[in-house]
Amino acid sequence: MTLDPRLNRRQLLRAGAGGALGLYGLGALNGCTVERPIDKPESTAAIKPEIDGDILIYNWAQYMDPDIKKRFSEKYGVEVNEVNFDNLEAMVTKLRAGGRYDIIWPTPEYAYRLNQEGLLHRFNRDSLNNAKGISSFYDKGWWDPDSELSIPYTYYTTGIAWRNDVVSGMTGSWNDLTNPDGAGKMFILDDFQEAIGEANLINGWDLNTADPNELEISKQTLLDQKEYARGISTNSTANLVNGTAVIHQAWNGDIVNVRNQVDNPEDFSYETCEEGVPVGTDLMCIPITARAPGTALKFIDWVIQPDNAAQNVMWNGYPQPVEGGKEAFASLVKDEPSIDVKLEALGDGGMEYRLDDPDDRALWNQTWTEVKAS
Amino acid sequence: MPGVAGDVSSKGFWSRFLLPGGVWLLLLFVVPICLVLALSFGYTDDLGRAVYSFGLENYQDAFDPLYIPVLLRSIGFAVATAAFCLLLGYPIAYYIARYGGRRKHILIALLVIPFFVNYLVRTYAWVALLADEGLVNSALKDLGLTETGIQFVNTPYAVVGGLVYGYLVFMILPIYASLERMDGSLIEAGKDLFGTPSRVFMHVTLPQTKQGILAGCVLVFLPAVGDFVSAQLLGGPDTYMVGNLIQDQFFAASNWPFGSALTVVMMLFLSIWMLGYLRSAAREARDPVAAGGV
Repeated sequence: MTLDPRLNRRQLLRAGAGGALGLYGLGALNGCTVERPIDKPESTAAIKPEIDGDILIYNWAQYMDPDIKKRFSEKYGVEVNEVNFDNLEAMVTKLRAGGRYDIIWPTPEYAYRLNQEGLLHRFNRDSLNNAKGISSFYDKGWWDPDSELSIPYTYYTTGIAWRNDVVSGMTGSWNDLTNPDGAGKMFILDDFQEAIGEANLINGWDLNTADPNELEISKQTLLDQKEYARGISTNSTANLVNGTAVIHQAWNGDIVNVRNQVDNPEDFSYETCEEGVPVGTDLMCIPITARAPGTALKFIDWVIQPDNAAQNVMWNGYPQPVEGGKEAFASLVKDEPSIDVKLEALGDGGMEYRLDDPDDRALWNQTWTEVKAS
Repeated sequence: MPGVAGDVSSKGFWSRFLLPGGVWLLLLFVVPICLVLALSFGYTDDLGRAVYSFGLENYQDAFDPLYIPVLLRSIGFAVATAAFCLLLGYPIAYYIARYGGRRKHILIALLVIPFFVNYLVRTYAWVALLADEGLVNSALKDLGLTETGIQFVNTPYAVVGGLVYGYLVFMILPIYASLERMDGSLIEAGKDLFGTPSRVFMHVTLPQTKQGILAGCVLVFLPAVGDFVSAQLLGGPDTYMVGNLIQDQFFAASNWPFGSALTVVMMLFLSIWMLGYLRSAAREARDPVAAGGV
């Protein structure tokens, strides 16, 4: 192929005109968000749990026992269809672009933002048969001050998982990440909040501090930890199972999965740390674009019914902060009670990530990028 | 192509068939790239939504010295990947082209078959194979070759290994094509002139396949610079690449505008290399002798 490197005058003019037209088109986008604004229904009255059609739920993959959906379908004569997302950004993007889903599974921070945008339905918790079984930790959460937007699905505490046949001298502090027995085989979670969060707790700052000086010191803490680290990864289950990690910052649900997959479950331990225990939650919310919000609310009530919650916990291995779910999880990990972190017992030690100011969020991200890039 | 039938009427006939492909490229390639370009001047609003605008802050951030080591590391990994691919791929291409005989097409098919499986899935398989208590280390321990096992994963070597595995076929195919095109009698002529195998290779075969090597290097180097899978799954604390940085902006930091600016900068940077290759190819086509050919 021969390329003619010379452009003649006419071609140049044509290209220039095309470029100008393109720039004009881009100028028309100024001030627009990536997603077009969606049509919202006029009425914003609280919805009621009553069957009003088939539902489409939008969930993480492999996160709910299919039998729970099947029995709901049979009992109420409606279809429960499911599609999956693999990260929350993708879920929120589709929702903002007008995707019509009946139930979504956001974290508190995403639920807060979606509500600020007016994208979530309100409902009265008292209208649900099983709301009284919800852990008091979820009364009037900061993202849902009137408890009218969300029902907790699962929760997870962040702590440290370790191989007790290799590592000794664990003290129940976040400083255990740099236990010399684990040097070169320690992993930090590849999650900017979990990583900066534990460093903040070690330094005695507020979990969610956005003070640049404090974050600078936490960055140094993480850089020091990096000397001990073998990797920065969220594949904690795989890293522990295949022997790559002997100390791993981890969520308590992961350690349940690890112990299910190995021949020597007694060698794997888990601890929460005295400086503070970050608690994460996946919530169930009903988007404003739902086709059948009544059925959706009824389905949420069905999911937290004690027998269904227990069945679901036995299936996916994550604790559910409702009656039935709590007991099922305790029985699942009865030989290693440290995994069963009881929310009510955490008191002030139980903390949640909250970065609702975008500048704070950007500063945290910048700090984490500096840790990873250097 | 001079000398090939190229009269006006047949050119017009064939131009019509460009329309579907042209529209496809315009809508699904040019327009999205323009949107990335537009978004790179944008910002993130209070609710984490990406908004189009006309600011240069993202580009200021993209040229922060903090990212220079990340870029240098990515280029280093990609150069090493292209070099290993060339060393491994050339003999394979040479063997198949010269001695493949009737099995040529089967051998090429065998090279391509693994690519029916997604790169991400294949890299996960590598993690399982090479982990400290994975299959490879278990086998080595059983054979008594090592007592404690060897740490393969979470190293820069593993990242380059994953990249080589991922992109090797893009080196082999263009070299194979250029060897196929080459006139075999040139090698015989070289031997008739009492050339040793290595001298014939250096003075006849290698110059004849130079364009294939260049094409292979470009096809391996460009995607390797922007790769994120290998570093994410096989890397350690010090293997962060540009691809990981960009991916983090979209999926973790909710900062699409900055991610877009980084993407644009990387595309411009890679285009420079691409232009260099195109110029060399054009020079070769105009004047093969001066460019080192026969």
